[in-house]
Amino acid sequence: MEAALPVEPSPAARVEAPLLEGRGLHKSYWLGEKEIHVLRGASFSLRAGEMASLVGPSGVGKSTFLHVVGTLDPPTAGNVLYDGQDAFEMGEEPLARFRNRNVGFVFQFHYLLPEFTALQNTAMPGLISRLPRDEAEQVAREVLELVGLGHRLDHRPGELSGGEQQRVALARALVLKPRLLLADEPTGNLDEATGEGIHQLLLDLNRRLGIAAIVVTHNPRLAERMPRRLRLHEGLVVEA
Amino acid sequence: MKRFRVRAFLVALWLFVAAFAAQLAIRHLLSARTVLSPDAVIGLSFGAEALAFLFAGFLVSFLARGFAWRELGAAALSLAVVAFLVLHRMKPPSFSYDKFFADTRELFLWAAFTGAGAWLLGLWGASFGVLLGASSSPDLRFAFEAGIARTHLRLNRRTVALLVALGLVPPGLLFAAGVWTRAWDQVARARAGLSGPPNVIAAMRTDALALAVSAAAVVAALLLVGRWVQARAQLAHLAPGQRRKRPATAVMTAISIAGVAVGVWALTVVLSVMSGFEADLKKKILGTNAHALLLKYSSDFSEWKAVMPKALSVPGIAGASPFILNEVILSQGQTPTGAELKGIDPATAGSVNELPRQVIAGELSWVSEPHSIPLTAAKPHPSAQLLGDGEQYLQDTYERKQSHPDELAKGVSPEALREMPGICIGKEMSHSLRAWVGDVVQVITPLGDMGPTGPIPRSRSFRVACILYSGMYEYDSKFAYIGIPEAQKFFRMGNNITGLELKFRDVDAARAEGRRLVTALGGFPYRVKDWAELNRNLFSALKLEKLAMAIILTFIVLVACFNILSTLIMLVLEKTKEISILKSMGARDSSVMKIFVLEGIAIGGIGTAMGLLLGLASCSFIERFGLQLDPDVYYISNLPVNVDGGQFLMVAAIAVALSYLATLYPATKASRLSPVDGLREE
Repeated sequence: MEAALPVEPSPAARVEAPLLEGRGLHKSYWLGEKEIHVLRGASFSLRAGEMASLVGPSGVGKSTFLHVVGTLDPPTAGNVLYDGQDAFEMGEEPLARFRNRNVGFVFQFHYLLPEFTALQNTAMPGLISRLPRDEAEQVAREVLELVGLGHRLDHRPGELSGGEQQRVALARALVLKPRLLLADEPTGNLDEATGEGIHQLLLDLNRRLGIAAIVVTHNPRLAERMPRRLRLHEGLVVEA
Repeated sequence: MKRFRVRAFLVALWLFVAAFAAQLAIRHLLSARTVLSPDAVIGLSFGAEALAFLFAGFLVSFLARGFAWRELGAAALSLAVVAFLVLHRMKPPSFSYDKFFADTRELFLWAAFTGAGAWLLGLWGASFGVLLGASSSPDLRFAFEAGIARTHLRLNRRTVALLVALGLVPPGLLFAAGVWTRAWDQVARARAGLSGPPNVIAAMRTDALALAVSAAAVVAALLLVGRWVQARAQLAHLAPGQRRKRPATAVMTAISIAGVAVGVWALTVVLSVMSGFEADLKKKILGTNAHALLLKYSSDFSEWKAVMPKALSVPGIAGASPFILNEVILSQGQTPTGAELKGIDPATAGSVNELPRQVIAGELSWVSEPHSIPLTAAKPHPSAQLLGDGEQYLQDTYERKQSHPDELAKGVSPEALREMPGICIGKEMSHSLRAWVGDVVQVITPLGDMGPTGPIPRSRSFRVACILYSGMYEYDSKFAYIGIPEAQKFFRMGNNITGLELKFRDVDAARAEGRRLVTALGGFPYRVKDWAELNRNLFSALKLEKLAMAIILTFIVLVACFNILSTLIMLVLEKTKEISILKSMGARDSSVMKIFVLEGIAIGGIGTAMGLLLGLASCSFIERFGLQLDPDVYYISNLPVNVDGGQFLMVAAIAVALSYLATLYPATKASRLSPVDGLREE
């Protein structure tokens, strides 16, 4: 099992295959009698450490695209490849482990577990990967310091401000040092100043940790600051 | 749709058939080679088969990477066919011990049962496999799952404290009520002139632990009520927005816990009361009857004097006494009554039954020493304790006899009276014959001499030597006892007896000990019938009644488990988003399943613990309070209870197993949710 995981690709593979590649991704939903095509053969690739923004009007399927490339939702047709390997060919458990170790998600809403403190929320991916509690909390503490929340470890989500909540969500996504961060409008619910802080943090983390990222955003200024800009248009991914 | 895995099907079929064959083999071996009762043999063999089915399902879940309901179903169907063919060929004994399968329809039924049982148990076993991650690699850990389950149930320090209080205080109050009423009873007795403590405090002081526990329970209950009133008062001052909202699932969880607790409570109390009746009956039966009878397949048992020491030398045997049993008619004046006349040896009878301790007037030894039977009315024993109006009856009869001393003699000379052999009769028989100690009764046996018009009944006069009281109406109205020599003479048996009564050191080993004795005596023509065999009808009826009661009451627990089921479904709906988040963070399907299974088991477990405590407290209350029964109907004054730890454990196991089963559907549903199901909603 372990060998099949594309966690540590060989140097040759790193040269050949990009970190993430989508090939001819189709995704459609049935709404009653009507089939809605969200993705119509989208293809793209992302290198390790590369940071890209994804823009597009509301309802065009940006979230669906992130879910598909983030291995949460299988495409109707097409392949999602990590290091050249098809993610959806893996079984349920290896895929879950892969997601746990390699992909971090940040959503528009923080989606923190309300009963747990910031530290416990951040430690959750570590606990899911069966790290001992001490170790998971140690790592979580470090990441929370990194996002500037070292002083709010024992606060529950309800006791944090919107920006702080999103920082905890970011810390939770990054706690196991994933190779890819998928952010779905992380600042969509925040005021401009707070959102700007999160943007700065995202760029900063990418520079310091070398984590590849796709950031869905409506904010043109953030999109412009990204090294690479993608746009979802009529079910296809195009370079903006 | 997952593909059908032929390999899993074949393994399942092989395991199922092996389990079925093992059941037949175990049943055959146990009944041929051991002295286990037929019930025990059936229980063991079918228990082993059920476990094997469970294990088969568990194994197959790993091969089929999931519940494997189709593979297990196909295997179970094939097993049913195999079972039908095998049973059809073998025609093994049916569950009623002496009948044989004759009917193909009955075979159909059993084969169908076997198949259905194999499928359900297999699926149950498979659920363990799925829970442990049968879909790929096993994972036995559940630390973070438990943490999340805890938040779903809101098991924080406050609620745990509340649960502990709610679990302990009501049983404590019940217990306290029992302690208090008993103390009160004792004081009432003391006031009525009987011996007892002068006041309640003195009565309670004898049981310091009970006093401490009940005082603690009362204090805790008062504190709890005070705290609740305080909380309500605070709540009244809050503005509507300030009140904390409780989600519907929290209320449903509480109701589920209460449901399980009530079911377990009812089950334990009713089973304990039925056990109490059974124990009481057993005590009374074994008080009058011996544990077993040593009999012979021949009417000649004249060597009994040599057999007795041999029997007594067998280690497990505590006592032996000869007896003769025949049916006769007893009459006094114009009142006849049918009776079982038993010839006993008063010297050794006490070593096999409780007869000497059942005497309420006269002496048991007087049956062999008729000279000692007084010519004046004998006083009832002062220590005799009878139920209902029994004590009054004794006093009245004694006084009547005292005021009419001539009734005793009936014109027979005192010398002739002294020569008459003695007979002991039960209290009810004494009542119906109006015979007291010293009275003359006629014993008539139909086994008389041949006369010109057919057999002429033979009769003989006996004098009542003692009155016995066993507490069983049947025994007190039907049995009469005379000495062995008199019985031998009366029935013209020479030196024969009917058999030996035996007492074992361990009542429950009667069957095995009996077999050992027969072997020691050289087997045929000797045989032993133990008490369970002698009273099989009675105990079978009791057991059936208890089983039926247990099954009916288990339905309460079952309904409570449906509560758990719906609560968990609500929880899954409420937590769809959370499940999605956990999955996006890499939680496995089996982890999600574990969360909800743990929740269901926690609900079931907490409810079971509360129910067991309530049951225990109720039993203690019933015992101390002494719920009155009409002794003339039940022949027992108080509702009996017998707290059996094994029974409590079994109820707990059933309740927890049922709550586990209730979790499977919602937990599986939750584990199969797609990660995006909860993310899409907003």
